[in-house]
Amino acid sequence: MRGRVRAFALAGMAAVAGACAPPEAVAPRPAAPLRETGRVAQSRSPKQDLRLIPAEAYLRTYLRLFGGLSPAEVERRARGDDRSALFDTWEDYLTALGLPDHGLDLPRGAQTNALMMAAFERLGIALCDRALEHDLKASAPVPVERRLIFAFDLPAQDLDAAAFAPRFDVLHRTFLSYPARLAPPDREARFFALYEGTVARHRAKGAPKSRFSPGEAGWAAVCYGLVRHPEFHLY
Amino acid sequence: MRGLGALAGAALLAAAAAASFAPPSAAAGGAAPTLEQYRYYRALSLDLKGRLPTREELAEMESPGFDLDAWIERHLDGPGYVERLTRLYMDVLRLELGPVGLFAPLETTLRRAEVLGPDGERLYVYFRYNQRRLLPLIDGDFCFSEAESGLRGSFAGFTGTPKPISQRLLDERTTVVRPFWLYRDYLSVVPTQRYGAGWKDPDSAYVPLPQLLVEPDGKTPTVEVRVCKEEAQTAEVGRIYASGIPPLPKGAPLPPGRARPPVPEDRYAREHRGEPISCRSALAFAMSVDCGCGIGLEHCLPGDNSGRDPRAFALPAHVPLGIEAPIGAAPHTASGWNRFWWSQEAIHLMQHVFRADRDFREILTGRYTFINGPLAQFYRSSAPAACCGLHRSYGMREDEAPLFLPGAVPPVVAPHDVSDWTFIPDRGPRAAGIVTTPVFLTKYASRRARAAALYSAFLCKSFMAEHAELPPSDEPDLMVRPGCSSCHATLEPLAAYFTRVEETTWTYLPASRFPIENPVCKLNAEGKTGQACQRFYDPDFSSRERGVLRGAYASPAHAERGPAGVAADLTRMPEFASCAVERVTESFLGRPLRDEDGALLRALRERFVSRGYRMRPLVEAIVRAPAYARASNVRPALERGGAAGRGGAERGGGAR
Repeated sequence: MRGRVRAFALAGMAAVAGACAPPEAVAPRPAAPLRETGRVAQSRSPKQDLRLIPAEAYLRTYLRLFGGLSPAEVERRARGDDRSALFDTWEDYLTALGLPDHGLDLPRGAQTNALMMAAFERLGIALCDRALEHDLKASAPVPVERRLIFAFDLPAQDLDAAAFAPRFDVLHRTFLSYPARLAPPDREARFFALYEGTVARHRAKGAPKSRFSPGEAGWAAVCYGLVRHPEFHLY
Repeated sequence: MRGLGALAGAALLAAAAAASFAPPSAAAGGAAPTLEQYRYYRALSLDLKGRLPTREELAEMESPGFDLDAWIERHLDGPGYVERLTRLYMDVLRLELGPVGLFAPLETTLRRAEVLGPDGERLYVYFRYNQRRLLPLIDGDFCFSEAESGLRGSFAGFTGTPKPISQRLLDERTTVVRPFWLYRDYLSVVPTQRYGAGWKDPDSAYVPLPQLLVEPDGKTPTVEVRVCKEEAQTAEVGRIYASGIPPLPKGAPLPPGRARPPVPEDRYAREHRGEPISCRSALAFAMSVDCGCGIGLEHCLPGDNSGRDPRAFALPAHVPLGIEAPIGAAPHTASGWNRFWWSQEAIHLMQHVFRADRDFREILTGRYTFINGPLAQFYRSSAPAACCGLHRSYGMREDEAPLFLPGAVPPVVAPHDVSDWTFIPDRGPRAAGIVTTPVFLTKYASRRARAAALYSAFLCKSFMAEHAELPPSDEPDLMVRPGCSSCHATLEPLAAYFTRVEETTWTYLPASRFPIENPVCKLNAEGKTGQACQRFYDPDFSSRERGVLRGAYASPAHAERGPAGVAADLTRMPEFASCAVERVTESFLGRPLRDEDGALLRALRERFVSRGYRMRPLVEAIVRAPAYARASNVRPALERGGAAGRGGAERGGGAR
């Protein structure tokens, strides 16, 4: 009994002491230095970068390259009916492309990321393949002026560097908006090497079966390279 | 390529032009454009047309007579430019609502129950919860009791074992209607133009869900809908009704046949029994048995079930390129339908400011707006339904001073005119740009959120807590409480402008009903007030003599000036113009602004203000400024094989 009285008394004294004490305050304190956990090399790359094309502009450009169609029609054509799974649905790509969702307060993606690059790649390949089918593989030849991307003739024989250049320039203008002659000096040569290598691989004995001829596959590869080029996505 | 060097306002921008990079200049004597000129043109095309240039457009740019000045001027008038600026401000304000907010008022949502007809066939019956009916058995409930239909209704759905309803009862309690969502000519005596058959030119964006178009068997086309008789009424004026049924004593059993207690009798209804009442008032639904959804049920939205937020129409799943180029489609609830069009209203309002090159201040101050069919239906019928609950204790039985006067809606706009947007020159004296749009007032639901959104979006300022001591405090005035005052000294007076716009909604609290100081809401001996007072009057700032309207304590003057006052006051502040200039410049340069941009910003601001706060001269000056051209050429050394580069080679294909 005495013990309980003492306990109550102590509790009471503590409460009184607490009530009389100065109010507890959270004082500002300088943050403690962060503990070093490791070192990485400092990047010396330029920090001011080109701008990412707004997702809306990318979409509008994509629709335009597909012939100025509506999003639904582009999706239908890009998916095709050949079970190639080139294109899923727009809904699968929109967030990855950096479009904001204001309803959910998701901000615009202003920088590239791995998912965005993967979406660019997938959309780009679908565009190149379907455009190639439209421009070069249609049952009735499509006049050059009505072609979507490959607006040049494609001779039956292999192209040399001189014949490659003007055709490459067409694609370069299409995707990068300037003539190939103004590009870094080795760009054309590197893309020609890509073209030649692709043609050779497709022509090699035992090469996997492809719906594209070696020449078509070569141009598709060039198209893939340009539609995924950083200059296409940045400005 | 003529005109690239002809920078408009050269003197104005001379200081900025003195920067190290010269803007792309005219190619001398028809010489081929340089890489910088191509890049400049590409950037212009992206910013003013909204896409990359085509090969044909590049060829046009390369042609000797090409006049870039004229090209810029032409595209400062185009849809790409309008979309660019709208996108900028939509990114800032984020005026879209997520799936959380619910707006399916009982007054204007027709829910649907499935019952059995006389021969056991399944029938849909549309009804409103809480509908007043003369028959006490079903007053405030579905028009068939559980004993009659075998069903008990609730937002969770109808439960029970349905039993056939006799033809006599069906005829007595329901009627058939050709509703607006099925008939283009629903206003005619015998509508014939049914959706999908006879309605020749349905708006492609108006898509009722398939389940609204067929009977319960899933295949018979619906040509008429069966509706409870009270809901189908078309009168514009009814009479106040009081049942005279005494309230159910606590613990007493429910009256025979009723699933819920009788509707509580309203004192006002008892005192004003038999008086005329407008069926378009919020009051009518609760106090009259004469008011329904109007001709063709045009004042209500249909739903495909009896739940809290039933579905009715399909809408685009995404509209990144505008509603004209939708991506995907998805069924939407009544709330989703409203939310979508609220957002589109704000977009149309902004687009008008940019397209017509209106004074940019009108984005906050303009009394005009744009509406389409669903918005007309909302403003005429659903918006007033947001009011009034506890307001009745103050004698306010409907939104007496709405931010958007329903009378401003032209009667000719039909609910299914989805793609036709009508200019409303004046919403009413309390309207203020986007500030009084439903999407802004629900996105930013509290007074403080509304104030902070405007402060941040239009003054380019944000509230940052100071590095201060935080002692315990019961000081209710956040403008003086240590640790809070650094932000709230500014925020509270700004929030006070929204004192009279009820939080989470758009109901305006008029001074005649809600004086800032109200003796009725004074504190009692225990320092408390009644429930009706507590909702609107803040006990922390009230006294034994009077209550103080919530939010008004920081600035009664701001409270009286309302949303139109905040719009007028913000746009008068010098930061308003600076903020607009900084936002647009930063967006077009694609980078944060730096000290070196100071001269450019000063020149741009002067131009913006002197041209009457018009965006077009501002954007024109930006895209002609060297800094803009330079923004697309920030790494020439790397790409052209400079000393810091990679020996002229590029890393092909990889993304940076």
